[in-house]
Amino acid sequence: MRTDTAVRQSVVFRVRRNTELGLVILAAVLIVGAYILASLGSTASLPADIVPFLVIILGLIAAAHVATRRLAPGSDSILLPLAALLNGIGYVFIARLDNDLAALQALWTALGIGAFVGTLLLVRRARDLERFRYTFALIGIGLLLMPLLPVVGQNINGSRLWIRIAGATFQPGELAKIVLCVFFASYLVEKRELLSEALHRVGSVMVPNFKHFGPVVMMWAISLVIMTAERDLGSSLLFFALFISMLWIATGRGAYLAAGGLMFSAGALIAWNAFSHVQSRVDIWLDPWKDASGSGYQVVQALFAFAAGGFAGTNLAQGRPDLIPYVETDFIFAAIGEELGLLGTTAIITVFVLMVGTGLRIAMRSESPFEKLLAAGLTTILGVQSFVIIGGATRLIPLTGITLPFVSYGGSSLIANYVLLALLLRISHDQAERAQAQALAQDETRF
Amino acid sequence: MNRQIRRLGIVLVVLFIALFLNLNYLQVVDAKRLNDHPTNTRAVVRDFSRARGVIQTSDGTVLAESMPSSGQFENQRRYPEANLYSHITGYFSFNFGSDGVERTYNDALTGRTNNLSIDRFGDWLLERERTANVSLTVSNQVQHIAADALADRKGAVVALDPRNGAILAMADSPTYDPNPLASHDLPAATADWNKLNADSDKPLLSRAYRERYFPGSSFKVVTAATALDSGKVTVTEPVFPVLSELPLPQSSQPISNFGGETCGGPLPEALRVSCNTAFAQLGLDLGGPTLADGAGRFGFNQVPPIDLPFGASSLFPDAGTFARDKPALAKSAIGQQDVQATPLQMALVAAGIANNGTVMTPHVMKEIRDSEGEVLQTYDAQAWKEAVPADVARTTRDMMVEVVNSGTGTRAQLPDVQVAGKTGTAQTGRDTSHVWFIGFAPAEAPRVAIAVMLENQPNVSEATGGILAAPIAAEVLQAALAANP
Repeated sequence: MRTDTAVRQSVVFRVRRNTELGLVILAAVLIVGAYILASLGSTASLPADIVPFLVIILGLIAAAHVATRRLAPGSDSILLPLAALLNGIGYVFIARLDNDLAALQALWTALGIGAFVGTLLLVRRARDLERFRYTFALIGIGLLLMPLLPVVGQNINGSRLWIRIAGATFQPGELAKIVLCVFFASYLVEKRELLSEALHRVGSVMVPNFKHFGPVVMMWAISLVIMTAERDLGSSLLFFALFISMLWIATGRGAYLAAGGLMFSAGALIAWNAFSHVQSRVDIWLDPWKDASGSGYQVVQALFAFAAGGFAGTNLAQGRPDLIPYVETDFIFAAIGEELGLLGTTAIITVFVLMVGTGLRIAMRSESPFEKLLAAGLTTILGVQSFVIIGGATRLIPLTGITLPFVSYGGSSLIANYVLLALLLRISHDQAERAQAQALAQDETRF
Repeated sequence: MNRQIRRLGIVLVVLFIALFLNLNYLQVVDAKRLNDHPTNTRAVVRDFSRARGVIQTSDGTVLAESMPSSGQFENQRRYPEANLYSHITGYFSFNFGSDGVERTYNDALTGRTNNLSIDRFGDWLLERERTANVSLTVSNQVQHIAADALADRKGAVVALDPRNGAILAMADSPTYDPNPLASHDLPAATADWNKLNADSDKPLLSRAYRERYFPGSSFKVVTAATALDSGKVTVTEPVFPVLSELPLPQSSQPISNFGGETCGGPLPEALRVSCNTAFAQLGLDLGGPTLADGAGRFGFNQVPPIDLPFGASSLFPDAGTFARDKPALAKSAIGQQDVQATPLQMALVAAGIANNGTVMTPHVMKEIRDSEGEVLQTYDAQAWKEAVPADVARTTRDMMVEVVNSGTGTRAQLPDVQVAGKTGTAQTGRDTSHVWFIGFAPAEAPRVAIAVMLENQPNVSEATGGILAAPIAAEVLQAALAANP
């Protein structure tokens, strides 16, 4: 009977991987098609470097697929194809905007896939991570605050988010998100009983007990430091939202959500009063037209790009997204909006919704509280980050300079997101393996 | 925890729905307002960047072409002939729009006409717009000679084929170089624009078809043809008295001939020597309504439908004004007072006589071809005005032959070709006048009609037009006849 089950397990796993292969091929076809269209649009003939490009991109995607086949065969089958699609479409747009950046982005993609495989290799069981929680806490906070250090810390475009080591710049905050997410998951799982009891009733409202409120205050302080010292509104919001929502998921206490929301609002209000860069961001959001050729230029140009795209877009390489400053990073979504139209932007949003849905499904299916919380946290990072930057680019919320996961140009971001993806797949695989083991146990009791 | 995770999912989905709704608003609902927003230069930048087709002369000289460029705009418009054709091709500028053929045939040059865009499936798929090339009726040879003949004198030469209205040359002086206006260096382009606009010589103004001048005696062709058409006058009757000045009703100021000369006789003789007193009397005899109607049938008071933008109409006073003002009628009959004409209009008067009384629609476009050389559109000649019947036109032509053979226009004679024409001198100041020559050749089967106008020339006499303008006409006619067999 054991062999039967083993065979059944391998069949289930193989079906998942073959589904993934099919979807990966579909994504590859879409990427290659988009690349050919973009090349034709700008030069009227296929560029000579199309073959090396295809080999690199298809090779990298194939490598990632082989890695899941070998290292996480039971994992979910749609996350990797979706990520590959986003990565590929982003690459096409970067290549269409700037050839030099495209070469670098190919390198970052390779490093990202490398990080993906490396994470799957290194983290053989998601629960292994739980043991190193305080190490992760230290690493996370260290990474977060690293840009504030003298010498290595770098100010780029008014934000202090970068470190420079040996000539290469890196945004440690991108990785810090994931490392801290692992820490939050393990910390909150350990303390969740305590934290959910640490509330007392004032009138009809539950108020957290101050004694156990230390971690919340600490995260709040850290997020304020990021907002003020590093001048990064987006990351600040992301960290705090991540922590509060994980705290809420772990404890089930809405009071934390309310308190966190209030604290963040208070912090934001203080920051708005105290710091001109926060004020100007909000002013631009409220009325970008007031200084459409100055401070509001970027946002206004992005709005024009979306409008120029309309329903079906100007088509690849037929628009002028290059009129938007920082289009490859913060505003890549506006480039997509211009050239692929509402159809394209809706497709990208759908991909993110599918990824978020899949991530949360992985979280819900997992029996281990730690893995559940970690998967939910990682998915929150992905969801909130894409919402914050898309919302900023479309003027739904004030603009914050963070990247669109997998799509924007940038090495730190790609590497971090591939690590995030690998962790989600690892949790998914662990869960599938346990489900199979359970089925096996049931089979044994039945016969 | 699953309950919270589910709720988290709901929250995230709501956020993404908000993004989706906002995108619908931006890209569909609000898109038109954003696209039309005054600070939105996107459409202009796109149009300015786009490759445009070539504009060339009938003999293949490239007048405008797009060269790939780096920077904000992908294509740079070049005008290899610089000043020579600027009033025909116009310019294509970022801040100041476009003019001339660049403007009229913009859709063809950018490939936006219907028969261009869905030509090939591949192009359709990519929405790539293929540009088309515009060939003009203008001959580079004739244009050069016309411009050289004007030299640095202010004025204009318009030569066209009277049979179909094809413009063979349209030279202006002064003129401007469209290259700096098309520059991607926008502040430099603006500086050049401001300089051209501040220039008192008005180089941006096409004297040929956008500026009106007193036509002076060249208008007598219209008066003579109208008189013949009215039936009140023949080549023999009446015989106008020989006078040096004609007293006018309602006025103490008589009309006099240049230099106090005396002249008179029947219509051909009056035209041959350009007799003011005779034509003033003729105008009074014909009456305001007849003369105004005659001028209108040659195209006065209407913008000639040439395929160039912003043309000016020529002016002839309303018939009603003459009822109370007889002197005005007499002066209008000799092309003075309130009569004003563009050189293009006067060329069309000559062309109408040359083409048996029918004025053809003037045009500069010969044909439009796609990038593969396939003809997409050719200009179909069409009549604009039925000015006078053919027999009236023939009689007028014979009288104009005499002007060139033995009258004021002898300097327009060509060795082997019979030229018909009429001179004009319109006094504009104490010692200045606009001088004119209008005519056509060969008289028996005209292939080229012409108007030459020089602005504010020194000297005032009936002979001035013949001395200054007629030689230019002869030179250009000769070249145009060779170029337009």
